[in-house]
Amino acid sequence: MRSNSSPAKTRPTPWDALVVAAVVLLGALTALLFYGPKAHADAPLTCVVSVGGQVADAAPLASFSGEHTYSHNGYTLTVFVHDGQVEVLHSDCPGQDCVRSGAISRAGQSLVCLPAQVVIHLEGAVDGPDVIVG
Amino acid sequence: MKRALSLAAALALVLSLTACGAPKKAETSLFAMDTYMTLVAYGDGADEALTESARAINELEQLLSRTREDSDVWRINHGGGKVSSETVQLLARALAFSDETGGAFDITVAPLVDLWAINSDHPHVPSQAEIDALLPLVGSEHVSFGARESAAPGSYDVAYVDEGCAIDLGGIAKGYASDAVKEIFAAHGVKSGTVSLGGNVYVCGMRPDGKPWNVAVQDPQGDGYACILSLSDTFVVTSGGYQRFFTAEDGTVYQHIIDPATGAPARSDLLSVTVICPDGTRADAYSTALYVMGEEAAVGFWRLQQDDPFEAVLITADGRLVCTPGLTDHFTKQEGASYEIQFLSR
Repeated sequence: MRSNSSPAKTRPTPWDALVVAAVVLLGALTALLFYGPKAHADAPLTCVVSVGGQVADAAPLASFSGEHTYSHNGYTLTVFVHDGQVEVLHSDCPGQDCVRSGAISRAGQSLVCLPAQVVIHLEGAVDGPDVIVG
Repeated sequence: MKRALSLAAALALVLSLTACGAPKKAETSLFAMDTYMTLVAYGDGADEALTESARAINELEQLLSRTREDSDVWRINHGGGKVSSETVQLLARALAFSDETGGAFDITVAPLVDLWAINSDHPHVPSQAEIDALLPLVGSEHVSFGARESAAPGSYDVAYVDEGCAIDLGGIAKGYASDAVKEIFAAHGVKSGTVSLGGNVYVCGMRPDGKPWNVAVQDPQGDGYACILSLSDTFVVTSGGYQRFFTAEDGTVYQHIIDPATGAPARSDLLSVTVICPDGTRADAYSTALYVMGEEAAVGFWRLQQDDPFEAVLITADGRLVCTPGLTDHFTKQEGASYEIQFLSR
């Protein structure tokens, strides 16, 4: 091993420091992008309604107030959006599970009518659970 | 020039790390087994894993449905005959669960489910005489299965029930399906994902950010959550009578889970039971059984399972949330839920 005969050439310069800083900054931003929070706590809820596997409506909950009617497989549901929550007001399906499920108001929650194949899902806010059991 | 090249190389390195940190996400949903299912998977094999999982679930429904006239279960309930070895294996497990739980879980309760018809258009409250007439048809002794020699070399599986009896594998079919999805995920190298088959959940590995999955247990008395469980690589199954029920003309509420001992909807002092264990089929059977047992017997049953322990969350009708001690470090109380939290001791 020989020592370098011109040490002045290997001494870090301000440009080198700039490159290091840029790389560190990019690394931090990347980590934040992929491992940091994905949404803001005040992110609005979005109400997504799927009918027969196709999205029929997707709108911010706050601007989706009122009654909405969906029909599929010979059944008709009336969905009522009010005061930040969603419920199935009426359905002519057998079983009435969708009506009895009550209101939903949190991200990740769903109302499902199996006979009509209608799914009402709330999404959008941060810190919600990954999956709901019950 | 060297500085520019260094900067470009560094950028390329950072971008390659970006690719590592954002595993590919795929998701699908389907209606099957009388419920709505959602599956999410991360990783290179995610798309293929979900496609194969959906196909497997549909195939299992075709085998295990009680209402499809081409299913194994239909064949068993209508004279018996040749069935798949998969159906026989599940039958064997179902009968073993019935034995373990003292009959609290029983697939032969089907005639009484039909009698009450709680999930149908026309639920009704039968007379005690009607119930008494069907109770003798309930019990594992009415189910037979095994291998039969065929004319050609080899054998095939057969299964049948005694006359008038019927089976319904709905109490474990979704759990069995979730076990199948777990195997498919593993075969495709999926190490992160969630599977929700109605009240049956499987959480695969950790979240992409390396943290455990947050599994919310539905509050049976409200629209929120009773608690959050931080879990990985396990199955979580909830049973309860709070979603499927009917109200009789006199105002009495009848929930849909039939107690095989009485032939009537279980009069449980529990609102819901959530079972957590690494076997989806077992978790499914146990959640139903513990609900039927009620709190005292359920806790006693849990204490007896020393060799193959499981975890559970019991929500009682008198406002308590009873947890097994293995959940202590995985449990987060939900604000707004008013349950008194109690942890059991072994």
